[in-house]
Amino acid sequence: MSSAFVYRPTASPQEAANWSRRQIIATDLRTIVGRAYPRVTGLFREKSWVFFEVLLPFLATSAFVFVYRAVQAPPEYIGFVVLGGAMTAFWLNVIWMMAQQLWWEKSQGNLELYFAAPMNIMSVLFGMAFGGFVMSSTRAVAVLVVASALYGVSFAVDQWFLLIGVFFLTLAALYGLGMVLASLFLMWGREAWHLTQFLVEPVYFVSGLNFPIARLGILGSVAIALLPLAVGLDAMRQLAFADAAYPLGTPSPEIEALILVAMTVVFLLLARWTLRVLERLARKEGRLSIRWQ
Amino acid sequence: MSGIDAPIEPGLGSPTWGGFDHSRTRGRGAADIRRSFATAARLGWLMEANWTDPILFFIYSVAKPLASALILVVMLDVISGGAKPEFRAFVVIGSALWAFVMAGIAGLAWSVLEDRERYRMLKYVYVSPSDFLVVLLGRGVARVAVGAMGALITLAVGVVALGVPFDPGTVNWPLLVVVMAIGLTSIVAVGVFMAAVCIQSRQEAWSYPEAAAGALFLISGAVFPLAVLPAPLQVIGLLTPFTWWIEGVRQALFAGSLSSVGGDGSFFALVAGHATPTTLELLAALLATGTVATLASIVAFRASDRRAKDRGLLDQTTGS
Repeated sequence: MSSAFVYRPTASPQEAANWSRRQIIATDLRTIVGRAYPRVTGLFREKSWVFFEVLLPFLATSAFVFVYRAVQAPPEYIGFVVLGGAMTAFWLNVIWMMAQQLWWEKSQGNLELYFAAPMNIMSVLFGMAFGGFVMSSTRAVAVLVVASALYGVSFAVDQWFLLIGVFFLTLAALYGLGMVLASLFLMWGREAWHLTQFLVEPVYFVSGLNFPIARLGILGSVAIALLPLAVGLDAMRQLAFADAAYPLGTPSPEIEALILVAMTVVFLLLARWTLRVLERLARKEGRLSIRWQ
Repeated sequence: MSGIDAPIEPGLGSPTWGGFDHSRTRGRGAADIRRSFATAARLGWLMEANWTDPILFFIYSVAKPLASALILVVMLDVISGGAKPEFRAFVVIGSALWAFVMAGIAGLAWSVLEDRERYRMLKYVYVSPSDFLVVLLGRGVARVAVGAMGALITLAVGVVALGVPFDPGTVNWPLLVVVMAIGLTSIVAVGVFMAAVCIQSRQEAWSYPEAAAGALFLISGAVFPLAVLPAPLQVIGLLTPFTWWIEGVRQALFAGSLSSVGGDGSFFALVAGHATPTTLELLAALLATGTVATLASIVAFRASDRRAKDRGLLDQTTGS
C-alpha cells in the first residue's frame, strides 16, 4: 500500500493543496502520535519524575488518610481519599498540561507553527491528551495500588464494566474540558497562570475530593452538573465501595455515567468551536505570536 | 549627535587617569545586594500582580488556601458532625500556615522555571553583575507576600466563620515574632533548595515544588498531630523546621490549643518525658532545624549552580 505522504507530481500548487480524505486522516493521526510522543518518551528520558510525580503525591495523599485516622473515620473514607488522590493525577495533568499548553506553546514560539502546519489543531490537542493520559496513569496507578495495599483499602465492586466505563468516560470528559480551557487560556493570556492555580484546591473542594460530595448540598449538585471530576469521582466511589454507608443525595452511577457522556460530547464540540473562533481572532488580531518575537 | 559624541553617564566612563578601575569588578558590596534584592522583589511583585485589578487578584490569592482549609473542615464534619471543635481549629490554623510554605517553596523554584523556560532570560540575569541567589530571593519575596495574605485571610475566616477560638489578649507576641522570623527563613531556605532542584530539571518541574510541599505536609503536623504517624515518620517530622514553626505559631497565637508535636503516645512525649514542648524547647528545636535546613540548602544551591554551568542547563528550554 502506498503511503499517503509520498511525493505526488501535480500540475499546480492549487492541485497540490487538494488533499484526499486519506491524506487528511493520515496527517491527523501522525499529528496525534507526534504530539503524544514527547510526553510518552519524556517518561524514559528523565527519571526524576518517579520521585516527584509518584512518591511525593503519594505522601500528600497519605496526609489526608492520616487526617481521617486521627478522627477514627470508618475505613471506607480512607478508600475515598485514595481514589481521590489517584484521580488528582488526571486533573493536574488536564490543567497544567492541557489547559495551559497552547498558551505555553505561544510563549515558546511554537503556536504559529501549529497553525501554519497542514493539520487539524484538534489533532494536536488529542495528541497532548493521549500523552498526558499515559503520563498521569503511571502516577494514578502507583497511588492507587501502593496506598490501597499500605492502608488496607478494600474495594467492593459489583459492576466492574460500569466502573471501567465511568472511569474512561471521566477521562474523556476531563480531557475534553482541558481542550476547551486550552483555547480559553490562550485568549486570557497571563491570567491563565493564576487561573490554573485557582483550579486546583477550589476544584478539589467542590468536587468532594476527600469526602462524599453529597455533604456540600446545592454546591455539590452544581459541581456534579459542571465538573467531570466531581461527577466521575462520585460515580466511581459509589461503584468501588458498593457496601459502604454512602451519604445519599447524588444521582445513581448510571445517571452519572450519562452525565459524563453528555459532558464529553459538549466539551469536545465546544473545544472545536472555541478553537475555530480563537484561530480566527488570533489571525485577525495577530495574537498567534508573542509581542517580542 | 553621533553615538561617540553622546555624553557618558556618570560612573560609566573610564577613570580620569585613563586606566582600568579594578574596584568596579568587585562591585559595591552590600549596596549592590540591597539594590539587586529590591529590584528583583519589585519585578516579582509586578509580574504577580500587574495583570489584573486588585479584587480579582485578591480572589485568586485567597481561594487556594481557603479551599484547602474548607476541604479539611468538611472532612472532619463528615465524620464528627462538628463534635470536635478543637480539631477544626487545629486544621484551619495548620492549613492557613501551610499557605506560607507553599508560596515560599514554589515562589523561588517557579522564578527559575519562568525565567529559563518561558521568558528565556535566566542566562542574562545570571551573567548580570547581580548575585543570582539574591535575585532569586527577591523574586520569591512577592510570592511569599501573596502567601501571607492568603494565610491571614484564611485565619480570619476561620475565626469569624469556622469557630476558631481567638483572643487577641492572649497572643504571645515576642514568641510569634521570633518563630515567624526563623520559620520564614527556613521556608525560604527550602525554596532555595527546590530552586536548585528545578535548575537541574525540565519544564515539567512546575509541579515539583507543590509535590514537595505536599509531602512535607504529611510530616509537619500541619493538619493532624504527629502522634498519629508511625514513630519513624514522627522522627523525620521532628527534624523538619516546619513542624516546630507551626507548633510555635499555634502556641503563640492560640495558647492552650492542641499540640501537633506532643500529646499522648507521641514520640516527643516518649523522649522528652512530658506531653507538650516548652517554649524554650520549641525555640531551640526550631533554631537548630532551621539552621541545618538553611545551610544545607545553600550548599545544595551552590552545587546545583556549578553543575548547571558545567552542563549548560541555564539556557535550556524543554517542552512536552
